[in-house]
Amino acid sequence: MRKLTVLAFKEALVAFRDRGALAMMLVTPLALTLIMMAAFGSGSNSTPISDIPVLLLNRDTGTFGQVLTDIFFSSSVGNLVAPTLIEDESEAAARARVDADEVAALVIIPQDFSARIFPFGARAQALTGVDVMALSSDAALTPEQQAGLAQAFMESQTRSEEARTDSVIVEIYASPNWRISALVVKAIVSQGLERLNIQIAGTTNIVARQATAMLQAGQTDVDMASAMSAMSAGNAGQGTAGGAGVDLPIKLVTTSTTGRGFSWLGYYASSMAVLFLMFAVTSGGRTLLAERQRGTLPRLLISPTSALTILLGKMGGIVLTGVLQMLILWGATTLIGAYWGHPGGVLLTIVLLVTCASSVGALISAWARTPGQASAIGSAITLIGGALSGSFFVRWNLPQWVQYLSLVTPNAWGIEILSRLQAGRAATTILPWLGGMVLLTIFYYALALVGFRRQFK
Amino acid sequence: METTALVEVQSLYKRYTPNGLYAVADVSFEIHTGELFSLLGPNGAGKTTTISVISTLLQPTSGAVRVAGHDVQRNPMAVRNVIGVVPQELALYDDLTAHENLRFWGEMRGLHGAELAQEIAEKLELMELADRAKERVSTFSGGMKRRLNLAVGLLGRPKLLMLDEPTVAIDPQSRRYILDWVKKLREQGVTILYTTHYMEEAQELSDRIGIIDHGKLIALGTFDELIQLVGQHETLRLRLLQEGGGAELAAALQSLEGDRIAGIIEASATNGEVLINVTSAEATLAAVIGTATGLGLSVRTIDIREPNLEAVFLRLTGRALRD
Repeated sequence: MRKLTVLAFKEALVAFRDRGALAMMLVTPLALTLIMMAAFGSGSNSTPISDIPVLLLNRDTGTFGQVLTDIFFSSSVGNLVAPTLIEDESEAAARARVDADEVAALVIIPQDFSARIFPFGARAQALTGVDVMALSSDAALTPEQQAGLAQAFMESQTRSEEARTDSVIVEIYASPNWRISALVVKAIVSQGLERLNIQIAGTTNIVARQATAMLQAGQTDVDMASAMSAMSAGNAGQGTAGGAGVDLPIKLVTTSTTGRGFSWLGYYASSMAVLFLMFAVTSGGRTLLAERQRGTLPRLLISPTSALTILLGKMGGIVLTGVLQMLILWGATTLIGAYWGHPGGVLLTIVLLVTCASSVGALISAWARTPGQASAIGSAITLIGGALSGSFFVRWNLPQWVQYLSLVTPNAWGIEILSRLQAGRAATTILPWLGGMVLLTIFYYALALVGFRRQFK
Repeated sequence: METTALVEVQSLYKRYTPNGLYAVADVSFEIHTGELFSLLGPNGAGKTTTISVISTLLQPTSGAVRVAGHDVQRNPMAVRNVIGVVPQELALYDDLTAHENLRFWGEMRGLHGAELAQEIAEKLELMELADRAKERVSTFSGGMKRRLNLAVGLLGRPKLLMLDEPTVAIDPQSRRYILDWVKKLREQGVTILYTTHYMEEAQELSDRIGIIDHGKLIALGTFDELIQLVGQHETLRLRLLQEGGGAELAAALQSLEGDRIAGIIEASATNGEVLINVTSAEATLAAVIGTATGLGLSVRTIDIREPNLEAVFLRLTGRALRD
């Protein structure tokens, strides 16, 4: 055991002393993570997307909820989404459909959406019957209606103060397996909110003009008119008038089926780490051939150390190096904001993933004839494996057959498991994947053992 | 010197492929405790293969090899515990320091703690590398690496030290250092198996010498015993002005052997030189030059050598050692 540890430690020490290898292991994946983030982090994607199945649950009794859902059916959205309006009582069923990946997302507009984002409008309609959103600037209001508007305004002042501290939440409940689609849905909702923004800004302007007119005509007292006019300056709870920016008290929350949203940074941080882990371990596997070539392997074999200890020590060193590499990348990317998932799960995944990756290194080392050959094969396998499994493109956007094919690579299992951890998926959905990765590890090591027996013979 | 056999090699055969040529064929010898035994032969003669079998790196095709009473096939780990090997290649880790290399290889030999620390200090001192102990091997000169390579072989105080051509491709100063160091070890009673293709080294260092060629042990004995094989003959070494003329002259001398020019025993040409084994240089020199002149060849240099292993090899194989 002591010799095994010494061998493993020596491997790690040699690996970490090689500046070129360090750049490959640590600096390059970090740089590529940031580059990929910059390139794709805004959600742009070259994959054509259409007819994204999305469920809309509008509980709002006012007009704004309707405005928001209408945008999903508008020509501006085209065939980007395939929306379905659902009834309130079917929310649980709708969430279940998202959980089952039948639809990309569920958009939930809360019951008091309109009243909370524009309390003045809702109250004015209740008191006067006037739909302020449909009010024109030259509309003739009766004195009762003017009084009602004034009262509605005064009441909305208080409510809008509350609204500032308690934003209304529009929830997008999205499947982690429809990441790009969820981002598209989010963009459409944001577009709808912007439309509401403009409408409310316009209404605010009209009411302000009405107030000014009332003041000029002496139809109301100065305090009331001034207060209403102030609404146009942004004190009515709905924000600033003038048409441009209205600060609606709305919070758009994207949740995945397990409560955590998709993060480009998290995705690329882990996928790049996995990619460069593969580079490191396939290169590590090459060291066995290199040791043979430079004569240190024969010297090891004639020391009082068994061939099995030497093999396990070498592989242990490669695993140790890989684990350290992943831990450093995990720490570094976390510092720049990436979330990898529950620490315990990430740690277990890293250990199993590195072991799995080392089996590929062992396989190459066992069957290649020269270090150069092993290096070339290792690089080819790493790059092809990376492309297949989603290191360069988001895995879920790749064709289904590619996703299945990629499961011959440790990369695919690693990215899949780490993504699930990032999404906060339950352990029960992750354990089968970990099990699959362990089986792949055993299979590759068995093949490698056959090759090693041939070599050591 | 004790006469106990530490190494026993009996009818050793080794070939690398089932139907291939034998790299070693019917080799038998013993190395006694405290003895310095040299295997002398040209490149590809089977020296490294023999050492590889004794050190358990290769399995013999047939025959028996025992080290300290342990059979290399049946009990390889016991053999490895008593041997130290200095391979021909520099088997070191360039990215580790000299100290780290010694520590690593010491651990692999089962040393640790204070014992290992003491051995490392001793070896660094012995090899005059103590002041460079913390520097990476990649910064070392070829001679320093060679010395460190030797130090690694000495870790664990092996009963049998095998040195496989330790002076290949190094500068004369380092070579001298290594030869002196081997002599010191020999004086300390360490049993040594030394392979070389430099007959001067074998001549200078060895208690006994085995001459190996084409996988076969063609002569075995002390230096004096081997010299007896060719008698007290001298060697004439001629360099000609004409490149390629050596073979012609050697053939001519060979055909005249025992005929017109009495005293020529063997003649061969190699590397632009003509080596002539003669009973008396003085008696034959004029005739040799005359033969060369008769062939239209001009002699550039002449060198007369006392009886040596080169002559023995030439006598036994008809070729020079460096062919």
